Amino acid sequence: MFTERKKLIIAFLIPSSALYLIFFLVPALQSLFYSLFEWRGFGADKEFIGLRNFQHLLDLRATFDGQFPFLHLNPRDAVFWVSMKTTLTFLLLGGVLTFTLAFLFTAMLSSGIRGKKFFRLIIFAPNVVAAVALATLWGFIYNPRFGMLRGFFEILGLEEIAKTPWMGPGKIVFAVLIAMCWIWIGFYLVLLLAGVDQIPKEMFDAAKVDGANVFQLFTKVTIPLIWDVLSIAIIHFGIGALKVFEFPYVICGRLPPREIWTLGIYTYVMGFGKRDPIYRLGYSSAIGVIMQLLVIVLILVFARVFRREAVEY
Amino acid sequence: MSKETIRVRRKRGRIGNRLRRVPLYVLPVLWSLFTIFCVLWIILTSLKTNRELFSNVWSLPTSIQYQNYVKAWTVSKLGLEFRNSVVLVFASVLLILVLCAPAAYVLSRMKFKGGGLLTGIFIAGAGIPLPLLFIPLFGLTAKLHINNTLPGLIIIYTTVSIPFTMYLLTGFFRTLPTELEEAARLDGCSEFGVFRRVMLPLASPGLITAAIFNFIALWNEYMLALVFLNDPNKMPISRGLYGIAESMQYTGDWVGLFAGVVIVMVPTIIIYVLLSERLIEGITMGALK
Repeated sequence: MFTERKKLIIAFLIPSSALYLIFFLVPALQSLFYSLFEWRGFGADKEFIGLRNFQHLLDLRATFDGQFPFLHLNPRDAVFWVSMKTTLTFLLLGGVLTFTLAFLFTAMLSSGIRGKKFFRLIIFAPNVVAAVALATLWGFIYNPRFGMLRGFFEILGLEEIAKTPWMGPGKIVFAVLIAMCWIWIGFYLVLLLAGVDQIPKEMFDAAKVDGANVFQLFTKVTIPLIWDVLSIAIIHFGIGALKVFEFPYVICGRLPPREIWTLGIYTYVMGFGKRDPIYRLGYSSAIGVIMQLLVIVLILVFARVFRREAVEY
Repeated sequence: MSKETIRVRRKRGRIGNRLRRVPLYVLPVLWSLFTIFCVLWIILTSLKTNRELFSNVWSLPTSIQYQNYVKAWTVSKLGLEFRNSVVLVFASVLLILVLCAPAAYVLSRMKFKGGGLLTGIFIAGAGIPLPLLFIPLFGLTAKLHINNTLPGLIIIYTTVSIPFTMYLLTGFFRTLPTELEEAARLDGCSEFGVFRRVMLPLASPGLITAAIFNFIALWNEYMLALVFLNDPNKMPISRGLYGIAESMQYTGDWVGLFAGVVIVMVPTIIIYVLLSERLIEGITMGALK
C-alpha cells in the first residue's frame, strides 16, 4: 500500500523524470552507440565499424625526423583538429582572460567605490542579449570596410592599423575571443563579487592590521574564502567554453571560416551540413562523444585541483 | 594645534583618500561606457539611412527613419517571428515550471530512497554538451512526427532547461523554513495541500527567478532552433535576425539589420532593467550556501 506521501512523491517526480529520460538521457546514450557506426543519413542502414570513427578523428599521423621542428603532424581529419584547437583556445586563453579581468573588476568594485551596483548592472548586461544580436554588433565593429574599429583608428590618424582585416586569417579567432570575453567577464564578475561580498569585513581588517599588502590580502584572504564560488565558476566556465556554438557560428553572417569552427559547430556541420546536408551521422556522434569526454576530463581535473577543506568562517 | 587645523587636515585626508581611489574607477567606467555606447550606437544606427551610415558611422540620424523598423517587422518577417518566439518561450517556460516545481519540492523537502541520486542525475545534465543530442533527438522527433513543429521545439526547450531549473529550484526550496509546513500538517492539510497552499506560495520568488532565467535563455536561443526547425514560417526571432544578417551580403541593408537587433534585444533588456536584482540573485543563489 502506498501512503499518501509516497503517492505524492511518485506523482510529482514522474512527469519531469520521464521527459528528461526520453528526451535527454536516452538520446545522450544513443549518441554513444551511434558513434560506433558508419551511418549516412537517417533513412540509411547503419554499419558497425567499432572505434574507426574515433581512430579517423584522432589520428594525427605524427612523424618524427631530424628536421626542425622534428615532430610533423598531418592529421587525417584536419578540420577536426582545427576545431579542437579553436575550442581549446576559447577554453584556456579565454579562461585566463575572463578570470583575470573578472577578478580585477571584482577587486575594484568591492573596494568601496561608488556605483558598484550600477557598474555590475552594465557589465553583466551583454549576458541577457541574444548571441545573434551581439555577434551582429561585433561583426560590424570588425567590418574591414566601414567598421567601428576602422573608424576609431582613422579618427586617431592611425591609417595603417585602421586597414587591418580584424576578421582575417590568423586574427579572427582572437577577434571572436575578445568579443566573447566581453560577455563572459560580466557573468563571472557577478559570481565572484557575490562571493567576496559574503566575506566578513573584519577578515580584511584583521589581515591589514597584521600588515598584509594588497597582493597578500588577495591570495591569503580573498581566494581561500571564495574557494567554493570560484570552483563552481571555473567548472561552469569550462563546460560553457567547450560547447561554444552560437557566437562564432553567427558572427560572419554566413558559414564562418573553418578557423573559428568549434567542436560544437563541427558536430553540427558533419551531421546536418549547411546548404548541402552531409549526414555523416555516426561520425558526427563521435565528435559529440569527444566533447562529452572533454567535459568529463575537465570536471575530474578541477575536482582534484579544488579538492580541499572548505574554510569555515 | 588648533581645532581649525585638525579639521582641515582631516578634510585633506578624506580628499586624499578619494583621490587615491580614482584609478579604481578608470577601468569600470571605460568598460561601462563602451557597453552603453554600443547600445546607443545600435539604436541610433537603426534610425539612420544606409547612405548616412556608410558616409560616417558615428553621425547622428538627420531624420528619424522609422521605416527601418516597419521593414524589419513586415518585409523581413520579424513580426511573425516575434510572435513565434512569444508562443515558444511562454509555452516552454510554463511547462518547465509545471514540471520542475513539484519535482524540486519533493526532491529537496522529502527524504526517500534514491532522492539524492535523482537530484544528482537531473543536475548532471548540465554537463552534457547539447550537440551530443542533435542526431538522436532529430531521429526521435521525426519518429514522433513532431519534427519541424513548434510543439516539438517546446518539448526540446523544456527538457534542456530541466538541469539548471532543478538546480535553482531544489536550492531554493531547501532554504525555506519548515515551521509553516509542519503547522499545516498538524492542521490536517493533505500532502498536496501543503505543497499547493503553503510551499508553492513561499517558493514564488524562486519560481519567478527560474521563469526569468529561462525566458531570457530561450528568447535568445539559436542553436536548437537551427537544428530542429526548417519551416520558414515557424522560425523564432533569433533565427529571423540571422536570416537578415545572412541576406546582408546581397542587400547591404545594415540599418535594417540593426533595427532587427533592437527588436530582438528590447524584450530581454526591459526584463533585465526591471528585474536585474532577482536575476543576479538567481545566479549567485546556487553558488553561495
